[in-house]
Amino acid sequence: MAMQKQYYRRKKVCKFCVERIDNINYKDVKLLSQFVPERAKIMPRRISGVCTPHQRLLSAAIKKARSIALLPFATE
Amino acid sequence: MPNYEIMFILNPTTVEEEVDKINGQIEGVVTAGGGKVGKIEKMGKRRLAYLVKKFREGSYVLFTIEGDGAIVREVERRLRVMDQVIKYLTVRMDEDMKRLDKIKAHRDKRAVRRGRSRAEGGGDRRSHGQADQMAEE
Repeated sequence: MAMQKQYYRRKKVCKFCVERIDNINYKDVKLLSQFVPERAKIMPRRISGVCTPHQRLLSAAIKKARSIALLPFATE
Repeated sequence: MPNYEIMFILNPTTVEEEVDKINGQIEGVVTAGGGKVGKIEKMGKRRLAYLVKKFREGSYVLFTIEGDGAIVREVERRLRVMDQVIKYLTVRMDEDMKRLDKIKAHRDKRAVRRGRSRAEGGGDRRSHGQADQMAEE
């Protein structure tokens, strides 16, 4: 069973690497909001599969977006 | 000279003429300090992600300017004292741009190389990688 499950687990790939998105901009709310789930926390790499360099850019962009009220710090 | 993006949010009750007036003032500050205004973008009214000074929405304005830190300091000081401005953010862009250009140049160079090798009929690294990926799946 366990073996079977492992076999079907798909390898996560970094969205930014695959789609060749270089520009992670704080103004792109549509893109950034894909990485902030309901509680408005930044989605961890182990869930989203984003690679380390891109996660770094992404989290910086999310934080900038938060400070100009494009994204929430927490849900109301 | 470095590039900056200054974004600020105005009180949603601010009328259009007043927005233009504020933009004019900021533009004046930048040019007086020896900088250049790239573009002024009125992004219109947007819902804020959280309450800012008890406002639920605000009209966003985006400035792209070229100039040194002294100009930014002066613009930010002006924004702070304006009653209509409820929030502002300055982001330096030139270093990001440089990084992006570098990535793009690198990618273009690789694309050219790849195109050439395909024409020669061999050594295409990408198709190789794809085959590997398929085997994995």
